[in-house]
Amino acid sequence: MADRGDRRDMSVIRAEALRKTFGGGAVVAVDDADFTVREGEFISLVGPSGCGKSTLLRMVAGLLDRSAGTLSIHGRDVTGPNPAVAMMFQKPTLLDWRTAIENVLLPSEIGGRVTDDDRRKAMGLLRLAGLEDFAFSFPSQLSGGMQQRVALARLLQTGADILLLDEPFGALDEFTREHLNVELMRIVGEVGATTLFVTHNIGEAIFLADRVFVMTPRPGRIAGIVEVPFERPRRPSLQQSAEFNALVSKVRATFETETTAGEDA
Amino acid sequence: MSDEGDLGAVAAKGRTRGIVARHAGILVALVAAWEISCRMGWLDPLFFPYPSAILLGFWRLYITQGNIWPHLGLTMLEVLVGFLAGSALGIALAVCVGMSDRLRRYLKPYVVVLEATPRIAIGPVIIAAFGFGWTSKTAIVMLVCFFAPFVNTLNGIVGVEPEKQSMFRSMGASKVQTFTKLLWPSALPEISAGLRLAMASALGGALVAEFIASNAGLGVLITQYTGTLNMASAFVCVLTLSALGYFIFRGMEELDRIVVFWSDGDRTDAMSRRRKAAWRAKMGTTS
Ligand SMILES: Nc1ncnc2c1ncn2[C@@H]1O[C@H](COP(=O)(O)OP(=O)(O)OP(=O)(O)O)[C@@H](O)[C@H]1O
Ligand SMILES: [Mg+2]
Repeated sequence: MADRGDRRDMSVIRAEALRKTFGGGAVVAVDDADFTVREGEFISLVGPSGCGKSTLLRMVAGLLDRSAGTLSIHGRDVTGPNPAVAMMFQKPTLLDWRTAIENVLLPSEIGGRVTDDDRRKAMGLLRLAGLEDFAFSFPSQLSGGMQQRVALARLLQTGADILLLDEPFGALDEFTREHLNVELMRIVGEVGATTLFVTHNIGEAIFLADRVFVMTPRPGRIAGIVEVPFERPRRPSLQQSAEFNALVSKVRATFETETTAGEDA
Repeated sequence: MSDEGDLGAVAAKGRTRGIVARHAGILVALVAAWEISCRMGWLDPLFFPYPSAILLGFWRLYITQGNIWPHLGLTMLEVLVGFLAGSALGIALAVCVGMSDRLRRYLKPYVVVLEATPRIAIGPVIIAAFGFGWTSKTAIVMLVCFFAPFVNTLNGIVGVEPEKQSMFRSMGASKVQTFTKLLWPSALPEISAGLRLAMASALGGALVAEFIASNAGLGVLITQYTGTLNMASAFVCVLTLSALGYFIFRGMEELDRIVVFWSDGDRTDAMSRRRKAAWRAKMGTTS
């Protein structure tokens, strides 16, 4: 991440005609996706349930082989998991028998011996996530929102500069989610990571992102890409502004034209 | 907070005392009813001896004659060795099968058929093969103790959420790391439950094995005493087995609470404090 400035305009993730089918081609989960993600960019991937968002993310993470097309990260073909990429899953994945700090340290343990620097870094990330006082709590002693913040700290502990977040706060109530979204923006901004964030909430997608990829189902494809011009840092009140609502309408329109086009065909 | 704790402790102590008193009352009433039933001729003392006679039997078998000890020791040895060997084998095999999809596919039908077979049916065969001594009894206990840990361990390993497995894969974890840091601890609650089931059947397995054919053990003692209509002594053996079973069960429960500490609120709190202290000792209080 030190040479961040030099790579400012380089695309970190590049996909061309990316495609994924299941069941021997019976289910087309992702069809013909073309996109690039630039260094340090925050991308929201928005679309209804089942349109292939998780599938797309898992391909980028190297957890799922693609059926066709090209996909590269930092200019290199994706063939499997990559230490530059870390993913946070839709379902909670904390280990119940580890304290918060031990969960955060998991990536370091897997990478080799845990050093005192790793431990200090982990504690710092928990502090960044506002959980310093809960470092020695077990998941069962934490609320759902706190658990996801621990998972976020663990994600950052990997040292990956590309973060894939699959509806990380999807299971939480609206208040907590909104609060955590603001926190997420702050934290990701602070570490300067490139982020792909999946959601099915249009407002949330726009509020967080530099660009919004709009996905439509059956077959799952990227129907449109919407630029979000608002300056950072953004305040939640932004969501009441006319410009914001105009963007929401624009994203919604992308869904509608795509759906009617689909019906015509 | 501490007030609440104290009140809770006092209330709990009161409750415990109440429960002990109630159970002591029930026990005395039952024993008295039994004794009275015998004296009134409602129960045949030939088959259901007086409680007082059983009490005397305890004195005789454990103290004056002391002849129960070698049998008790032998049965316990069979149970312990058979349990340890059988469950270790079950867990180890389940780990191998759980880690290999292919092995699992190949073995599945055989496991289902074997599971449906009453294990004790093979008892006479084993005795024919290993003889009347303690090895054949231990082998039968092993057989009885194999399946519950095997099935539970396998279920525990196979049932780990795919998201967690994907997370380990995306972190570049090796197979060994995935096993030691994810699969094994995830499966521990089920493994522990399997061990409890195995232990519960171990004692029964050893007894039935001794009933089939043997020259020593509590099962043999019970058969001999019943055969000579020395029912008081037979009941001493049965009650000894009850006590043994009870302590084994409690021990397994305690083991579960220690090993699977995160499923118990109080233990989790205690462990949380312990980990914090360990961290402080290592890293200093500032971080
Ligand atoms: N392993 C699989 N085998 C077969 N079909 C699959 C598999 N994974 C996903 N699919 C199918 O691919 C499609 C896209 O699934 P995906 O999980 O990517 O959707 P999603 O956009 O993440 O939905 P949600 O918002 O509900 O999480 C769905 O129709 C799903 O049934
Ligand atoms: Mg999904």
